Amino acid sequence: MGDLPYRLRVLYTKRDRLRFLSHLEVTRAIERSARRAALPYAVTEGFHAKMRVAFGPALPVGTAGLAECYELWLREYVPANEALARLQSATPSELEPLDARYVGVRSRSVTAVYTLAEYAVDIEGGAPESDCRAAVKAMIDDRIFTVEQKAKSKSFDLASVLLKEPVVRSTGERCAIELMIRMGDQGSLRPESFVKAVLERSGGSGRIVSVTRTSLREEESEARPS
Amino acid sequence: MTDLWAEIEPLLASVERPARYIDHEWGASHVVDASYRMGLVYPDVYELGMANQALGILYERLTSLPGVAAERAFLPWKDMAALMREHDVPLFTLESCLPLRECDAIGITLPYELTYSSILEVLSLSGVTLRAAQRGEDEPLVIGGGPCAFNPEPIALFFDAILIGDGEDAIGEIVAVHQDAIARGLSRRETLSALSSIEGLYVPSCFDVIDGVAVPHDGVAPRVCKRIVRDLSATRPPVAPVVPFMDVIHDRVTVEVLRGCSRGCRFCQAGMVYRPVRERRADDIVRDVMAGLACTGHEEVSLTSLSTADHSQLEDILRRLTRRLEGTGVTVSLPSLRVDSFSVQLARLLGGGRKGGLTFAPEAGTQRMRDVINKNVTEEQLMTTVTEAFSAGWRRVKLYFMIGLPTETDEDVRGIGVLVSEVLRVAREVVPPAHRGGIKIGVSVATFVPKAHTPFQWDSQIGLAELKRRQSVLRESMPRKGVDLSWHDSDVSFLEGALARGGRELADVIEAAWRRGSHYDAWTEEFRLSRWLEAFSECGIDPVVLASGRDMDGRLPWDHIDSGVSTSFLRDERERAGRGVTTADCTFETCSVCGVCQSLGTDPMLAGERRG
Repeated sequence: MGDLPYRLRVLYTKRDRLRFLSHLEVTRAIERSARRAALPYAVTEGFHAKMRVAFGPALPVGTAGLAECYELWLREYVPANEALARLQSATPSELEPLDARYVGVRSRSVTAVYTLAEYAVDIEGGAPESDCRAAVKAMIDDRIFTVEQKAKSKSFDLASVLLKEPVVRSTGERCAIELMIRMGDQGSLRPESFVKAVLERSGGSGRIVSVTRTSLREEESEARPS
Repeated sequence: MTDLWAEIEPLLASVERPARYIDHEWGASHVVDASYRMGLVYPDVYELGMANQALGILYERLTSLPGVAAERAFLPWKDMAALMREHDVPLFTLESCLPLRECDAIGITLPYELTYSSILEVLSLSGVTLRAAQRGEDEPLVIGGGPCAFNPEPIALFFDAILIGDGEDAIGEIVAVHQDAIARGLSRRETLSALSSIEGLYVPSCFDVIDGVAVPHDGVAPRVCKRIVRDLSATRPPVAPVVPFMDVIHDRVTVEVLRGCSRGCRFCQAGMVYRPVRERRADDIVRDVMAGLACTGHEEVSLTSLSTADHSQLEDILRRLTRRLEGTGVTVSLPSLRVDSFSVQLARLLGGGRKGGLTFAPEAGTQRMRDVINKNVTEEQLMTTVTEAFSAGWRRVKLYFMIGLPTETDEDVRGIGVLVSEVLRVAREVVPPAHRGGIKIGVSVATFVPKAHTPFQWDSQIGLAELKRRQSVLRESMPRKGVDLSWHDSDVSFLEGALARGGRELADVIEAAWRRGSHYDAWTEEFRLSRWLEAFSECGIDPVVLASGRDMDGRLPWDHIDSGVSTSFLRDERERAGRGVTTADCTFETCSVCGVCQSLGTDPMLAGERRG
């Protein structure tokens, strides 16, 4: 079969209630929406033919995404705006496809192309904004951030993992911390781990209300850290 | 209308698999301005309940009624149930996040005896009074239905009404009568009395049980005759079923191809109570498969029934489907195969290049035993079938057997091991030497549990100690190499037997077991026989007596439930079993006079000529 000529890259959301889906559940839901949309999808070779589709970096259960990504290979050309409209009418609104465009068949795989992710973490009832800012600053000064995960500890060099200093923003009763994280092959820093540490340091009793990945980016377009 | 979402959402961050509780699946139906709401409950977790075809059918029937909403609810897993109790959140429906108890009626399916305590957990989490007799005027009606309805007595006191038989037409009548009762301001008692006139609907409070016999109140018919859809080809499976996000069991489009089976296996309750056989037509089936796949986007479709390989047009259906689905990656599956070479041909047609495992059910190890249970399969047929399967490239075959059957001897038990050895021998003969290491025979052994409305309904179930002895006889007779032997849990079979043939006195036992923490008995790792034994002892009931044999001329707790199959047929079949005489299937040979067509005024309906 070789490389197929029609490679459609779709941006979509994962929000509201459907942020509680696992990555596997999202992928299955999207494959089913592509079948419902009756797009001429390609299938893989081999005994067990499956839809030829690839997904961008996984989102954990509970984390929303405003611009997630998948790629679907088509056997026949369908104008991108028509493919988008058909997908939209066959997908639950909280997984809504936002944009669809064809990319070159030799472009880098969607699983590898995005290495940066921006997050917004909403907090409720935390310490004052200024204390949060001070805590963020202190953590960056420490440089090494260690997280205990499932009885294992993992250390991140914040100078390399955080692409810019996290922004603390007050939004009325709530407070949001915005981070840009470089994803690693060996497990990425989870934004909620960082924010939990900020909350502990700032001595408040804040609670994380939501975690949203606001965008995925390619490394080339960003300044690399010195 | 109460919407509990704001209270549920914060709990979801700390539970396993929150997708069980979030709704918004493709195909979920949201009726905002409904004047009547029925909760549809499967008394176990979402991923098991969403596989239930009957609930899918009823969901669609309800939502097609004007002003009526169907609201799904499932038993939450224990982490969620604990959080809900801690935060005072009652059991809620998925569609509207409505407290289940605010529905006008709650329909609960009765799939299996081991869900009885889970039904109480559902009612308790909902804040609905457990016993129907004590429910207040403002509480919803609780209505049951499903396979276990054919002996409804053990759970009768928890239900306002129980539907016996096919539900798709009855549900609309139930809703209409209930809506009318609400409009006329009838009391609960009056409402139930009105409901009792619906064909197939059993209202336990219209009967008193005196000395183990259900006696009807004045004006109530003495027997409840099962409800039946006479012409299945006039029905369609749900056009747009709910498509789960979660990886549920049987996650696929299901199209029912026929209902009923008259092969007449004497241990099989489904084969007796769902008679007569009603086939749907090939054209309709192909149309429904294609429509179901287009609407859901599923990657698999299953053609379901008690005996799909018996459908007179199956080969034609499969050829048409495989042609239409070529190149889509969508697969067609069959739930069960007959022990014959035709079935292997069908499997080849479906499998393409893929060779998973094939499953057959000889059920017993010796010809004598198979004749007793009326499993019309010979050793020669089994050998021909497995030879063809292994020659065609399959390397794994699974065989289902049962032990503890009436008249079974140690020779019959050892016969299973002998038969499996013979299967291995023919497999090694036809499989090329280089591939022989891959030969695997899965042997799954269930324990016979006598069920109501079968020819073995009067028989005794073997005790736990005897069962363990026969299991060891079987283990010794079984070849080791190339065989995977698995058992049904003997404790579970013992309880299933005690619950299957009990009467109303079991309500106290079920409630006591639930109070002791039996909430998820259908999950082997959650099941504790000890809790149930304590509950039996507290209520002064001996489960061993419930599992013992019954007088063939005495009364049985389900005598007032009429499946259409006559007791004289069941007696006659029991007598023939004792002599090892088989009875033919009326859809292949002559009528066996089981009584169902005469009593229900119907006939078997075939779409073509059957070939055996």
